[in-house]
Order: sequence, then C-alpha cells, then structure tokens
Amino acid sequence: MTLSIKDLPQEDLFGPGNAGCRGCGAAIAGRQAMKALGPRTIVSIPASCMATLSGSNQRTAWQVPFYHTLFEIAPAVAAGIRAALDAQGIRDVNVVSWAGDAGTADIGFQSLSGAAERNDAIIHVCYDNEMYMNTNGQTGSQTPLYAITSNQRKGKQTCKKDMLAIMLAHGIGYAASASISHPLDLIAKLKKAAARRSFSYVHILTPCYRGWGIPTDQSVAVARKAVECGLWELYEVEDGVRRRTYEPSFIPVAEYLAPQGRFKNLTADKIQEMQDAVNRYYHREEGKA
Amino acid sequence: MIKDLPVVPSAKAGSMAAAPAGAAWREQHPVIGTACNQCLECTLFCPEGALVQTGGNMTVMLSLCNGCGICAVECRLQAIAMVREYTGVSGVFPLREEKV
Repeated sequence: MTLSIKDLPQEDLFGPGNAGCRGCGAAIAGRQAMKALGPRTIVSIPASCMATLSGSNQRTAWQVPFYHTLFEIAPAVAAGIRAALDAQGIRDVNVVSWAGDAGTADIGFQSLSGAAERNDAIIHVCYDNEMYMNTNGQTGSQTPLYAITSNQRKGKQTCKKDMLAIMLAHGIGYAASASISHPLDLIAKLKKAAARRSFSYVHILTPCYRGWGIPTDQSVAVARKAVECGLWELYEVEDGVRRRTYEPSFIPVAEYLAPQGRFKNLTADKIQEMQDAVNRYYHREEGKA
Repeated sequence: MIKDLPVVPSAKAGSMAAAPAGAAWREQHPVIGTACNQCLECTLFCPEGALVQTGGNMTVMLSLCNGCGICAVECRLQAIAMVREYTGVSGVFPLREEKV
C-alpha cells in the first residue's frame, strides 16, 4: 500500500496557530502525525516544547483532547486513559503519549518502560530534537556524539542512546523510526501503529533550528540529509521482523554535519570517524565517501 | 458515574488559531508562483498549516504564516518565493526597496 498526499485529510487536527518557533520540527511532526491518527485520538504530552507550543491557559492548537501531564508520566497517563476507555467499552480511539527526547529517554523513561512492559494499547511517539530544547538546549541521552549544547560547549563525548533497541528489548510488537523529511513514510508507520491493539513506539527526528544552529528554513532539509547520509536510518520492526523503509543515497556525512552550528567544532578526523562508522554499519566499502 | 465528574476548565478546540502567536513576528512570507503544480508537498512541511488548497489553487493563510521559509526551500519546482516584509505594531507591509 503506497500512500499519496492527495489521499490525506486536508483538515488540520493540530497546528494552526501553534506557538512554536519559526520552522519548528516538532510542530511539523505533530501535523504530519495527526494526518495519520485522525479525529478519534487522545493525546497526552509531558512538559516539553510540544506542550508549550500547543496550548497554555485556555487556548490550544489541538482539535483533539490533549492532556498536559507531568514530566515523568505521559505514557502512564495514556495507559490510564486507555483503561478508562476500555471500562466504558469505547474501542475506536487511538491513545497517544507524545513526548520529547527527555520525556522519552531520560526523565520519562520509567513510565515508558512500564507501559511497554505491560503492553498497554497506546502509541508512544518520541519527537527527537536531540537536546532539551524547551529549557534552552542542555545535553540529554539523545544528543549525538560531539554535538555542542548549552551546557557542554566542547561537545558531547558519548554516543546517542539507541532508544529503538531499548524499546525492542521490551518485546513490543511495533517500533519504527521516522523523519519529518519523509512524511508519507512517517504517516504510514503511524497508521500501522494505530491499527494494532498493543504498545507501539515511533521515534521521529525533528530538527530544532535554535539547538542545531541552522537557518529556520532548513529544518526539513537537514532532517532529509540526516536520512540520506545514513546517520538516521528509517526502519520499522513489526512483530520481530526488521525492514528498512527507505534506502539512503549515502551522501557524505559532512554534508549533514557541516551546516550545523552544533557541530562547528568537528575536525576532519572526527567527521571521517563518523563516516567510517556509517560505512561499517551499512557494510559499505571502507574509505568510500 | 464518569459523567457526574465536575467539568474542569479546558481550552476550546483549536482556539489558538484565532490569535496565532507566530504571525506577529513574521519577517517574510511566501508567494506562490505560476510554476506550482499542486503536488501539495509543501502542505506537509508547513509547521503552521498555513498552506491550503482552495478551489484548485494553493493559498497562503497569512494570519497563520510565521515566515520560516521551509516551503520555499522544499518546493521541488522552486515555485515559492519568500518576500520580505515589516510586521509589527504598525501593521504589515512589504519592504519596497528589497530585491527578491
């Protein structure tokens, strides 16, 4: 089944009027995701950019019920909503916990792990801007190697934690990575997740122009470069079967790294080190760009 | 029993669209040229949902657009141009001297 843009609903269930920065990757991810999830959806979001930009006080940018939860508990709240719906016999609603990289991989990890282990019928979406951007861009476990953050001016010295592998270790039925630069791929994955009645995990790359040090109009272009150079692999694991959903064209990783302010300290050696790692991962010839 | 619970204050669905924050600090806005073939790709890349197809034409809802420029970069046909403008307390008007 291949999706076409013309088949997607024109209405926006999230987006118009949101208070995101210019070129906000998270807002783009939210709009694309709601094209897949549809109006029968309930969203819980912990403290994050997404919670801030999509509503405060008596105003919201969502057309569906949206709960702003405490930082640690978005998947637990979603699991509770699912239990309440089950108790009322309501079966046609998607329950989504939508958290940033901190609300997923660090601060919110215990409740996420708990929901995955219980196999609660929710979709957890991690929109990953690779820093704690709502609090001015501190280092988190999803920050990539060598990226400069507001509290590590020399760049992070350890690698990004592989959240998909961690979630798959829970034995969940569906996990996928996605990028805002490939919206139809993202929408197809969320549709798959929504069709299942078990725990699903979708991890979306959503560049943040402030944290990444890029012009506002490059959010999507940079996400595409991340995919094309091979550093952000688009794949899904469905009932244990792993499938790469997009074959990258393998542009040099330097084309992705060099335009970003957060990688301005990278030396040629370190770029080559990352290129070698990509080549090893995809079993490509050593030294080939 | 659930229906007996008190109704807590909650926001009206989509109420932020009535007074969008982003349009107030816009510095440029997209203008869609004749090369547009209605592929609708830009509609999926706009963070605000400002690009809509109405009556077989693409239109920019300037009340929502915050001028990020993603649509102009992503358009495969280069059919979208960003036009600089002044936005502020005095209203919105294009900068005349600016070459696009």
